[in-house]
Amino acid sequence: MNPQIYQDLQKIYPEIAITAAFLITIIADLTAPRIRKIGTFTVTALGLGTAFFLSLPLFAVPGSTMFFGMVTLDPVAVFFKCFLIFSSLLVLFAAPGAREFKKVHLGEFYALLLGITLGMLLLASAADLLMLYLSLEMVSIGSYIMVGYLRNERESNEASLKYLLFGAVSTGSMLYGISLLFGLTGTTKVAEIRQFLAGGGASGDNSMMLLVATVLILAGFGFKTASVPFHFWCPDVYAGAPTPVTAFLSVAPKAAGFAALIRFFFSGLSDAGSTTSPWTPFAAVNWTILILLLSVVTMTFGNIAALRQENMKRLLAYSSIAHAGYILMGAVVLNAEGIQAILIYLITYLFMNLGAFFIVIEVFNQTGSFELRDYRGLYRRSPFMTIAMSIFMLSLMGIPPFAGFFGKLFVFAAAVNHNLAWFAVIGALNSVIAVYYYARVIKTMIIDEGEDRTRLPLSAVSTALVWLMLLPTTGLMLFWDRVQQLTRDSVRLFFGS
Amino acid sequence: MIGLGHYLVVSMALFSLGIMGVLTRKNAVNVLMGIELILNSANINLVAFSRFSSGNLNGQIFAIFVIVIAAAEAAVALAIVLSMYRLIKTVNLDQADKLKG
Amino acid sequence: MDMNILSVVIFYFFAALTIVSAGIVVFARSLIYSAFGLLFTFFGVAGLYVYLGADFLAATQMMIYVGGILILLLFGVMLTHKLYDLNLKSETFQFIPALLIALSVFVTLAGVAIRTTWHNHAQRLPNPTTAEIGQLFMRDYILPFEVASVLLLVALIGAAMLVRRKPQ
Repeated sequence: MNPQIYQDLQKIYPEIAITAAFLITIIADLTAPRIRKIGTFTVTALGLGTAFFLSLPLFAVPGSTMFFGMVTLDPVAVFFKCFLIFSSLLVLFAAPGAREFKKVHLGEFYALLLGITLGMLLLASAADLLMLYLSLEMVSIGSYIMVGYLRNERESNEASLKYLLFGAVSTGSMLYGISLLFGLTGTTKVAEIRQFLAGGGASGDNSMMLLVATVLILAGFGFKTASVPFHFWCPDVYAGAPTPVTAFLSVAPKAAGFAALIRFFFSGLSDAGSTTSPWTPFAAVNWTILILLLSVVTMTFGNIAALRQENMKRLLAYSSIAHAGYILMGAVVLNAEGIQAILIYLITYLFMNLGAFFIVIEVFNQTGSFELRDYRGLYRRSPFMTIAMSIFMLSLMGIPPFAGFFGKLFVFAAAVNHNLAWFAVIGALNSVIAVYYYARVIKTMIIDEGEDRTRLPLSAVSTALVWLMLLPTTGLMLFWDRVQQLTRDSVRLFFGS
Repeated sequence: MIGLGHYLVVSMALFSLGIMGVLTRKNAVNVLMGIELILNSANINLVAFSRFSSGNLNGQIFAIFVIVIAAAEAAVALAIVLSMYRLIKTVNLDQADKLKG
Repeated sequence: MDMNILSVVIFYFFAALTIVSAGIVVFARSLIYSAFGLLFTFFGVAGLYVYLGADFLAATQMMIYVGGILILLLFGVMLTHKLYDLNLKSETFQFIPALLIALSVFVTLAGVAIRTTWHNHAQRLPNPTTAEIGQLFMRDYILPFEVASVLLLVALIGAAMLVRRKPQ
């Protein structure tokens, strides 16, 4: 057996931990009904927790590719590993308390969560197109099942069908694009593709084929990150899926999709740069323009469509589409600053978006409704939920001093620093448009009068989770230096490989 | 002699037909068939390029994995379709309108 | 020379079989016709694989696609219609716009592909591939190999869970 494999095995302890937890959860699910509820939950939580702590030391490992060039290990990949495992953990804790899951056996849910997390970890570090496609499909197929988990509910089933049909076509097109790229370059390894393109492999007429292949591959990335025009599944799936699943989808697979997008475009289709000079896309295909268009269309469409939503899940769905547009801004600038902006934005987005969803889950648990009109007068019924939700809304708007402001600040600054000030202006205008629908939620909760005036009892778990999301959202500016340092170091080492 | 171009034409035709199937068909199982056409077209590409452009078997191995993934996807898809049939006694996509776009 | 002409003819046979069957899948009015069209498409593709020297892949294609996926699709067709509805007609909508889109996709792809010079490499001589594929799975592709097994397990659990009849 190849000694290289032994060394590589030591670097994927997180993935091994999750796979082991996955297998043990399946077996644990076969035990007696009384113990399996707690058993499966505990195994999953332990598995995710162990994986998280196994990921932390990986920050210090020098960048390398493993398993014959299938996956890379660099600080950006480790950042995403920690991010994704953490998101899965949070959703894990929110799931058992959700009203939608009250009568449903969750053993398979936990197993699916672990399987999807494994796929996401690999997606964030894929260095070969085969690994990229395989892990993308792993995340997607797991997600289709999760969305349809409430198999006796029409909405859940319909959502999973739409998700699957749309997703299969998008990833199928992406696969076709990958095959064309394979034909052009003769290899599926992203690093070798870059070498080939750097050597002028795609000059002249070949650049058109490269463009076609890139557009097709973008279909897959656009689908995973819910960017326009591959977003059609998003509102229906978010609305129909059980809310913990929606919360999960809005953060984790999206972030994993962005990680893969960064890795593919920056490491594969760009000419090597350094921390000082920006990378340049190969003259053959200036994909930055493509992504710029995508970004503008995505944020504008997301914000405008959210304006008239009356259902909280749909509103947050369109809001997350808009945020994908802002995140894409970071990908356009094509240098260390851009990637750092994306990482920071994702951190802030994790807390504020999950926080908003946790409140939506709890309100549904107590009132049974997702409609905005049933949030009227929430202030009288539960001041805590209202204030927390208002903070999340303000953060999503990008109002200082909350976390969302910093995310937008970095993304806009990256654009401005690269002669794309007009792009940042469009982003700022979009944020202004977004103020309307976020503020509408706040107004409905605080100012409007609701019919029901009874106090809302809140579950301890929900309260704890909301606090957990609230603290970073409000307190991020206190730890600002640490966050900046972390992301900057991660990115600097990314360029070394 | 049969060259790379011949295979590419076949795969492009399959891809376009697959897209056509996905866009026009109303029965969910029919749409799945269109998706299988798309995946097969990409596979033909991969194997053809493996033979003519890359000098190794990587394309074929990729194709094997695609077949595996297609099988998994088809299984899950049919499970969802069967679930749908149990709930609303039809698999016509027009009837899937509880969630308005 | 005879062998050459014969081999070219057989290629065109398989290519035509594949494309015409795919056409049946997409345009046939009855669902059963579509399913059998798909069967012949898979068969044609397997033939093309043999032509490309991918013997193991052709066998895999037949086994998994025809023997697995197609059977699954046929079950899907049979289990999702009412017994008395023997026609199994499948309606179509938006025919003309979809046709235009599909045609433009084809023309764009073909037009760009004609002018492309694909990556050049010394061509592989046709060889039995099974042994080499086996070795590659255990060496270069060991990680995707293991991950694919987890993927299959996830799909297995999910599909079984979605269709289970046990009341909740």
